[in-house]
Amino acid sequence: MLELRHISKSFPGVRALDDVSVAFVPGEIHALVGENGAGKSTLMKIICGIYQADAGEVFLDGRRIHSRDYRQSLSMGIDIVHQEIQIVRENTVAESIMLDKLITYGPTGIINWRAVNERARQYMEMVGLDVPPTALMKGLSAAQKRLTQIARALAANARVILLDEPTSTLTKHEAQTLFSILNDLKKTGVVLVFVSHKFEEVFAVCDRVSVLRDGRHVGTRPTGELGRHELIRMMIGRECKEDHLGRLHFNRDREVLRVEGLTCHGKIEDASFTLREGEILGLYGLVGAGRTEMARVLIGEDRMDSGRVIVRGELARIRSISDSLYRCRIGYLTENRKEEGLLLKDTVRANLTITVWPRMVNKFTRWISQRQEDRTAHEMVESLEIRTPGLAQIVENLSGGNQQKVSLAKWLAADCDVLIIDEPTVGVDVGAKEQIHRLIHRLAERDRRSIILISSDMPEIVRLANRILIFRDRRIVGEVDDVDNPARTYDEISMAIGEYLQ
Amino acid sequence: MSHIPTSQPRSGLEKRVLIPGRTIGLLIAAALLFAVIAAYSDTFLKPYTLFVVSRQVAQFVLVALAQAVCLVVGGMNLSVGAIGSLTTVALGLCLDNWGLPAWQAVPVALAVGAACGLINGLLIIKVKINSFIVTLSTMFIFMGLRSGISGGNPYAVPDSFTIVGQGKIFGVPYFFLIMLVVLVVVAYMYRNTVFGRRMLATGGNEDAARLSGIRTDRMILGANVLSGLFAALAAVLYASELGSAAPETGDSWLIVSFAVAIIGGTGLNGGVISALGILMGGIIYTLIRHGLIEIKANPYYMNVYLGLLILLAIAIDRGREVYAQRKRQTPDTAAEPTELHSD
Repeated sequence: MLELRHISKSFPGVRALDDVSVAFVPGEIHALVGENGAGKSTLMKIICGIYQADAGEVFLDGRRIHSRDYRQSLSMGIDIVHQEIQIVRENTVAESIMLDKLITYGPTGIINWRAVNERARQYMEMVGLDVPPTALMKGLSAAQKRLTQIARALAANARVILLDEPTSTLTKHEAQTLFSILNDLKKTGVVLVFVSHKFEEVFAVCDRVSVLRDGRHVGTRPTGELGRHELIRMMIGRECKEDHLGRLHFNRDREVLRVEGLTCHGKIEDASFTLREGEILGLYGLVGAGRTEMARVLIGEDRMDSGRVIVRGELARIRSISDSLYRCRIGYLTENRKEEGLLLKDTVRANLTITVWPRMVNKFTRWISQRQEDRTAHEMVESLEIRTPGLAQIVENLSGGNQQKVSLAKWLAADCDVLIIDEPTVGVDVGAKEQIHRLIHRLAERDRRSIILISSDMPEIVRLANRILIFRDRRIVGEVDDVDNPARTYDEISMAIGEYLQ
Repeated sequence: MSHIPTSQPRSGLEKRVLIPGRTIGLLIAAALLFAVIAAYSDTFLKPYTLFVVSRQVAQFVLVALAQAVCLVVGGMNLSVGAIGSLTTVALGLCLDNWGLPAWQAVPVALAVGAACGLINGLLIIKVKINSFIVTLSTMFIFMGLRSGISGGNPYAVPDSFTIVGQGKIFGVPYFFLIMLVVLVVVAYMYRNTVFGRRMLATGGNEDAARLSGIRTDRMILGANVLSGLFAALAAVLYASELGSAAPETGDSWLIVSFAVAIIGGTGLNGGVISALGILMGGIIYTLIRHGLIEIKANPYYMNVYLGLLILLAIAIDRGREVYAQRKRQTPDTAAEPTELHSD
């Protein structure tokens, strides 16, 4: 049995886990669910030693364990199957499974491949992997790679196997196969922890489910006693209608953006929608469902295979972000602010004005006016309430919330009509989150900007958007309108969204 | 939700630093080195020695600039020397074989250098191969063309061509003055022009720069053309100094270009450059070489000292970075709760 007692973990600015206690019983598949950012991944990483808990204890079969890193956890019989498939493409299946315990001819260091393949075959049989042990990894399907990873965990004598969204890259049929293997596996007394966003899987496969919300453990229930609605309520159940931001008075007649049949194969298929002035259009769906992918095609970061984009009534050809920004005034605030949003080592000033330098240039000397630059940066710092000791501060030193405001501000400085905002509050603390929400609302309501809000955070999207498009499997599968109507309750809207996702 | 008062940025921090602390360190190091050598050697302060040394500084600085502009956008250019060689051969062909006047030959040579840079740049952005591989390959190609075309023989240049490379004004070589002009232009460009700052942004974080509407591919292309141009300029001036267009020009530039650029504080990961720093780097590098000759160090071991010098420069830089990071982390985490509301 794997038992967690009072686990807490903080990152700068965020309390990722707060006093979480859960017990995982052998012979059961235990689901761990929660919204993005609820703390599931952090908890998994603490169990397998990648992160260290700030407080709390982990017990394995009644014995307290203290793991410094992943290797050590592995040696204690805890293994994780990551969401992304991590393999060495050129290795054989047997090699991948036996990687850390290859059998050699005595002390010579020469590998006895016959023995390795033989041993690997045993584990492959356990997980129902029906390929020769000498097959190369790169030739395997996603599901077979998954099974290889599980076989590898078994070969490492794992008594606890953490599965982080194992079906996210699998087809339905492949997922079914995986489930039946997991069902066989649990009878051998392995502790299986299953992280998933898909309710149907949770109910079909798992015996027990634990819900995390905002880093706290909401509850653990046998799946048999739980209805789907109840589970959703546990996941997102906070009351959030109490501080309603007010209805958006967008302009129904003025269409700012129309997208028709936007397609980029493998990323987004046949997406069509319109956006009106002063509107906040929410895009909801799982990571990889096509929301961010569509946004990136729209702004020219990825090539469009077919489709039309009409900006303010004119057909737009957007082949780079430069086109999107300077010709169409469409801005894109990336979900990945550290890697793609900010020049972390540069000043607040440079990060705020990077989009508007051409506007501040003296025609003759080509010199960017430092006065204008300071003024613009100042305005942004003031209107967005960015907390910084000065414009010369290095952005890396700001807190997450303020960094996010900086990366939002550069698009406001550029005077974009349309702003695509991707996961604006990931890794941002509660206070800054509230500020960012109010800011986005103000941008639409007061400044008449049109906003496309991509978010996996259901309360966030319901709170801000007036209309929500639901994405699944790279398509728009539904639309929920009139979201900002104060007469509609949060539950009503979230259920309506949930219907499209099942 | 309580209203959070806006922090009023303090005006003292608004100031853009004119000369960063690191460059001041280099200035002091260069001055010390100069003083030590001047005190030790009887001949060092003679006008002729200073003339020769300053011309050498000028050459090294131009070569380092050719490297630094590529480093700034997050790339590198291993073919700086090869471009210099090929440019020299082009110059020789124009002056010697075709008898063109210098005012026609020099632009042709510079254009050849810029074209080499353009080829590098196009390969990097269009074929999307990293700059290391691209310039490693083109280095061989350019070197091969150089040898094939010239057959290894130097070209004669007319006497009038040597005026710039051998002449001086108030004891200062024209070569050095031209280098200073180039350096000032570069400093101006990176300090606050759109092109310069966009190149810096590209080197600082290419993805973020692109997602901020910067055509990063054009920045990389521009940097490589500039790199070719600077290498060509160094080659032309060197031919003028030498009084002949020698195809082996540039054979030793690769190491020099990195050494001077790195000592001068150019960030190896891109986004950081200091024109003044590169000048100081050039002076320090030249003086150390000169000093080693003065103390009659075994010339066969010369490269050992220069290699150690590069390592030292990197180590000092790294040390500063680690120190700055440590200093930053402690007070910043303590300052965090001012913004955090109870969670």
